[in-house]
Amino acid sequence: MALKYWWLLPLGLAAVAAVVILLWRRQGIVISPTPVAHAERLTELPAYKQALASYRKRLVAAVVALAVLAVSLLVAAARPVSESSTVPEQFNRDIMLCLDVSGSMLDTDVAIMGVFSQLVGKFQGERIAMTIFDSSAVMVFPLTDDYEFVAGELAAATKALGSADIAIDYLAGTHEADGSSLIGDGLASCVKGFPAAENTAAKSAVGDNSAAEKGRSRSIILATDNMLAGRPLFTLEQATELAKTANTRVYAFNPNDYGSSDYGSNEFGMFPLLGDAAVGLKQTASATGGAYYALESEEAVASIVEKVQATEASRLLGAPHKSLVDHPGVPLGIAAVALLALALLRVPTSATARATASVSAWVRRVRP
Amino acid sequence: MGSLLTAVKSKMHIFAHRKARGLLEGEYASIFRGNGLDFDDLRDYVPGDEVRDIDWKATARTGKPLIKRYVATRRQQLLLVADTGRNMAALAEGGEPKKDLAVMAMGVLGLLALGHGDSVSLVHGDVAGTAALPAKGTEHHVEMLLRHMDAVGLDHEPSDLTSQLEYVAAHYRQRLLLVVIADDVLADPRLAKVVRRLQAQHEVLWVHIVDAALAGPRAVQGTALDVAGMKPVLAFLAQDPALAHSYAEAMAARARGLAEMLSTHGIATASIATTGEVMGQIFLLLERHRRGR
Repeated sequence: MALKYWWLLPLGLAAVAAVVILLWRRQGIVISPTPVAHAERLTELPAYKQALASYRKRLVAAVVALAVLAVSLLVAAARPVSESSTVPEQFNRDIMLCLDVSGSMLDTDVAIMGVFSQLVGKFQGERIAMTIFDSSAVMVFPLTDDYEFVAGELAAATKALGSADIAIDYLAGTHEADGSSLIGDGLASCVKGFPAAENTAAKSAVGDNSAAEKGRSRSIILATDNMLAGRPLFTLEQATELAKTANTRVYAFNPNDYGSSDYGSNEFGMFPLLGDAAVGLKQTASATGGAYYALESEEAVASIVEKVQATEASRLLGAPHKSLVDHPGVPLGIAAVALLALALLRVPTSATARATASVSAWVRRVRP
Repeated sequence: MGSLLTAVKSKMHIFAHRKARGLLEGEYASIFRGNGLDFDDLRDYVPGDEVRDIDWKATARTGKPLIKRYVATRRQQLLLVADTGRNMAALAEGGEPKKDLAVMAMGVLGLLALGHGDSVSLVHGDVAGTAALPAKGTEHHVEMLLRHMDAVGLDHEPSDLTSQLEYVAAHYRQRLLLVVIADDVLADPRLAKVVRRLQAQHEVLWVHIVDAALAGPRAVQGTALDVAGMKPVLAFLAQDPALAHSYAEAMAARARGLAEMLSTHGIATASIATTGEVMGQIFLLLERHRRGR
């Protein structure tokens, strides 16, 4: 506990003393009193003596209360603070939810949103962002650790994707280019969605921000069936390279993976396609150090959380931060009590004090 | 002829318009009734004259009531006993300085005495000492006596009326008309003793100048100063109803004590709270004295 503006105390006490001296001097202003004889008619009454004693007591109490009020207000004005220097821990993991909202995915998107919600519920302190893409990518919300907001956004997304009417509005901007499900472009957009993702090393010298970004682990949770239609700017492989360069892990969810491990041996035409898609995603995931899961996978959520949290290489410590906590409660509380006491005492202070003082001054003048 | 007496005369003049001119004089003259006075002449009867002073034969002759006028075989002496301590510089109940009321009362009595051919003297003083002024029958002298009272200020010594009364009891042998100008004095045994002595020796009248009230509806406003100790009196404390009540009780007891002391000795008394009351109260005082005897 310390006083931030300690110099206010001597200054304030000096000011109070000056006011008291000034008032003392001003007693010279004389209101000529009413001379009365045989004052013993009143002053000898026991009731008067009692009233005088109680008045004196109240006056003393009022002066004490006034002094307490002045001192406690001065102490409050001097700002009692407790200083503490804290080193804030920064959560150094960023997670991008990357959702394919192409037509082929719409049926499963609600289920994926459920998985996302579960995931978000498991994280604590990590920053989370969300991007949706079809032929073009839209960032739904940027990196944030406001979990309430994130939960709200996810709920809104779930609701929008669940009903076709609202979905059109919600998906606005995801179909700006030709084609559909441009996975590579979507993944690249997600990678680029991290702040200064690519050039951290290059920019590290520039400012604190990029330096702070440096030690962060980045994860993309990519939910897609990898059913490409059209010509993307980035192929999945190129986007994977981009992610690798940016040191970003990709955890892939595939809603079309039904658990069969050998896609190649399927007789139907559809399955090789599904198999290729799954293989592509698996490669991407493993190339970036992430993992691949089928949507139905029971252990997916727990596994992703574990793996993302395992990426924490070192605890990132912020610059030591000096914080001042004000403690005005005690002095202001005492001041309030003193003020209450003053009000309760109901001493007609100014009038009587001035009157008594002026009589004394008057007598001094008349009888030197 | 000084200014103080002029003021008293103008007051008496106004009073004379309301009551018959001879009224006061008649009341005054009756004080020494039967004290060895010789017949002088006759004059018209005015209300207030003693019925037994009417000369019935002369009345029958002239057809209108006539009063026998006497010439004093020896000059009577009116002795005013007044407190000139600083109590008299304090305020009376009406808000005027008590000394103004005292000057007016003394002036009225002095002029009555002069009109009757009597001499007027004054014994005055305070706690520090008592002074006696000689008896003379001139207006100039009465004016001088009034000035002694008018000079009272807060720089005077504290009051002690009893010591002035004791001085009179000790120094005056011949029978006098004694008028005591007093205020709210306490009827203590010392005062009672000297009053008894004076009453046995002289004709005593008591003028009571009522002190300013310290509590109740007529209490002084603002800051009060106790002239005895020159200390402030926290009169505002008496705004407390309980205290005001006990003050009223104490004042009633005090007044009762004084009234009992004076009435047991057959001393007539009148209370004056404002200068406007002086004439009426002096008249009542003289009448009470006449009736009380």
